[in-house]
Amino acid sequence: MSVDYSQELSVIEGRPSFADITNVISKPLETKINRKYYIALSISVALLIWGAFCLGMTFLYGTGLWGNNNPVGWAFDIVNFVFWVGIGHAGTLISAILFLFRQKWRTGIARFSEGMTIFAVMTAGLFPLIHVGRPWLDAWLFPYPNQNSLWVNFTSPLLWDVFAVSTYFTVSFIFWYVGLIPDFASLRDRTVKKFKKVIYSIASLGWRHSNRHWHHYEMVYLILAGFATPLVLSVHTIVSFDFAVSILPGWHTTIFPPYFVAGAVFSGFAMVQNVLIIVRKVFNYEHIITLDTLERMNKIIIVTGSMVGYAYGMEFFIAWYSGNPIEVYTFVNRAFGDYAWAYWTMVSCNVLFPQLFWIKKIRRSIPIMFVLGVLVNVGMWFERFVIIVTSLSRDYLPSSWGFYTPTLWDTGILIGSFGFFFTWLLIFIKTMPVVSIAEVKAVITGAQPTHHGDEK
Amino acid sequence: MSDTNFTLDYQRKEIPTKARNAGLIFTGLGLIIVVVSYIINPERTAYNSIIGSSFLLSIGLLSLFLIALEYIAGAIWSVVFRRITEFLSALIFIVPVFALPFLLNIHSVFNWTHAETVAKDAILIHKSPYLNTTFFFIRFAAVFIIWWLFYFVLTGNSKKQDSTFNQTLTKRNASFGAVFMPIFAITITIASIDWLMSLEPKWFSTIFGVYFFSGSLLAAIAATTFAAVRLDENNLFGIKIKGDHYYSLGALLFAFTNFWGYIAFSQFMLIWYANLPEETFWFISRWEGNWKFITLGLIVFRFIVPYILILSQPSKKDPKRLKLAAIWILFTHYYDIYWLVMPNYSRSGIAFSWYELGYPLLCLGVMILTFTFKAKNTNLLPVGDPKLKQSIDFHL
Repeated sequence: MSVDYSQELSVIEGRPSFADITNVISKPLETKINRKYYIALSISVALLIWGAFCLGMTFLYGTGLWGNNNPVGWAFDIVNFVFWVGIGHAGTLISAILFLFRQKWRTGIARFSEGMTIFAVMTAGLFPLIHVGRPWLDAWLFPYPNQNSLWVNFTSPLLWDVFAVSTYFTVSFIFWYVGLIPDFASLRDRTVKKFKKVIYSIASLGWRHSNRHWHHYEMVYLILAGFATPLVLSVHTIVSFDFAVSILPGWHTTIFPPYFVAGAVFSGFAMVQNVLIIVRKVFNYEHIITLDTLERMNKIIIVTGSMVGYAYGMEFFIAWYSGNPIEVYTFVNRAFGDYAWAYWTMVSCNVLFPQLFWIKKIRRSIPIMFVLGVLVNVGMWFERFVIIVTSLSRDYLPSSWGFYTPTLWDTGILIGSFGFFFTWLLIFIKTMPVVSIAEVKAVITGAQPTHHGDEK
Repeated sequence: MSDTNFTLDYQRKEIPTKARNAGLIFTGLGLIIVVVSYIINPERTAYNSIIGSSFLLSIGLLSLFLIALEYIAGAIWSVVFRRITEFLSALIFIVPVFALPFLLNIHSVFNWTHAETVAKDAILIHKSPYLNTTFFFIRFAAVFIIWWLFYFVLTGNSKKQDSTFNQTLTKRNASFGAVFMPIFAITITIASIDWLMSLEPKWFSTIFGVYFFSGSLLAAIAATTFAAVRLDENNLFGIKIKGDHYYSLGALLFAFTNFWGYIAFSQFMLIWYANLPEETFWFISRWEGNWKFITLGLIVFRFIVPYILILSQPSKKDPKRLKLAAIWILFTHYYDIYWLVMPNYSRSGIAFSWYELGYPLLCLGVMILTFTFKAKNTNLLPVGDPKLKQSIDFHL
């Protein structure tokens, strides 16, 4: 395939007019809900109900229903937590970090992926709340003066998680909402239904598309992007601290923070890519979320996947290099012990299969990239499983070794978490514009003046 | 595939001899100090040579990385600066010469080369399949041959494009750049473990390769920034470098200052918190005596100062501020490697006297000389690059 390097590729295909963009993006919000949507929603809600049932049973009978045991005190609950927090990271990378680096191709996908961030963090947030075993005491996670003089342990990364995740969620939510304001105003001006008009009027906070509004908007958006960037790194870094500050073999290693962040972006991108493939098809957004954009996402998947591969390699090498027999045992046990199947699932899904993205044809083939995206998420879920369960099941004392098998209730809650996530996502795509109307208009070919005034 | 129809009205300009003379003076001075110090105290010079060659490697190898990165990312803004990184990447040919003092005195710097010490120590015996002199030299040679090969391919294609204007060369370099990336990750890790981490043969840290990478990348961007500002100040590009170009360099400097801080903090935090004696001793030896001040200085000099210098948006567009930040970052990178290496030489306290001045001067001189030498018969802009026009017109 020949590419002319002397021309910059347009991020939006063709030259749609501004009105076309507004029409196509607000169409799903203005048309009647069709059957396909109801089918999708009912599947998702069914999963959610099943998860809620399993969770209800857990609340009724206690966490004894789960497969967790001594020594494997952390299992599906924490695996799911880390998995979902990770999914959220791609959204912030796309909407904030790529914005700071002025990557225009992010425009078509930023809103949607930022929405996924919010729902993924909400899903993730459920798990620590469940994991504590007595969810009615969750308020104790926050430090506040009380008559029992009980305080949280400020030196524990688990507590830092509470602060990091809640701050991250707050900033992500505001960032997302600020981006939505001009679009809510556009919808307010378009809609003919009274009820909708009231809702959109309130949500758009009196936005009038005035020059001054845009000026403030741009500045706030930039500052929030600047805040979101260190926050996204801090969240998964602290999640990695949950493990790495301990002295458990397989958990304590210095590469964990960047390795977890890379892994999070990796799995998040795969999830965003999967969902976008469906959205762009169903809503006819193929000229906005272009094949070029998907190809770029696949390139990020191979880069972050290779970083994760590098971390696996370094962990193995340094385990041997350290000369510590327990470290060596841990890694050999991962690869050839009871959970070898999980380990090799992880390695093949995270490191081997994504290498297919080196081939341009595969990067641009929608069915293959979809399958690879699913595999990446399978692999990344197993990565957390391998790290948590294999290390716990074989600690320093052979007399306390154990084996973990998930129960029906464990898997039910995992399934329910997907239901929770996708239900929110489906509500989102029917109530808000999933592509930023205002931002996309700015990157259409011809929308930008070609000559900048003299600066410097 | 069409060849680019854009031809730049480009007149190659000579770098003033003033620069070359400065390079000669620094190199001469540095060389004298290094030779004299080698005669008086070969061991101390060997340690200094590790610092000097690691520093030079940082600039050279990471410049090569930046070239490859530009091709595979399809970056546009950086095309006007690519010749700078190409010139600087030639430094990787000089690194082995810089390394001679420690290669010749490998016994006085690396404890694991002593057969009798290894024989008494179970851990060192365990490590000996990797840490042994023969394999060390094989790895040393192998990584350089790999880097040199990629240097010839990447810069060769770029230079060829100046006369042929052939777009296929851009595509070819993008492919080679992609192949280079994983190989680069492995080789720089090997180099950092061999030269720096194995100075303390019992210490280990999985993030160490990333640590060296983060600081080195920052140094290479700083060197590029400095050269870009200098060339622009003397009007040697022949085009107008805009605030947006500088902003892009400044943003990278700022981003990687944070990245370095993040990696350094991660490494320290996890070792400090877990408090395992097999890991903590490395930091403790950097906290004993007055080494404490060097360690604290690292945080202030390498993270806080550049962070404040280039935090604001206008400062990223200001060539003068960027030049200052670039010089400062290059200094702190040397300081960082000094901090990694010298506590192994002098455990009781800071070792700093005229011995330590030879290599910094030599690095400075050789960098200037290499740059001016390469610039002698190569265009300062990649005139045949199809992205050059877009790059000149670049706006954020």
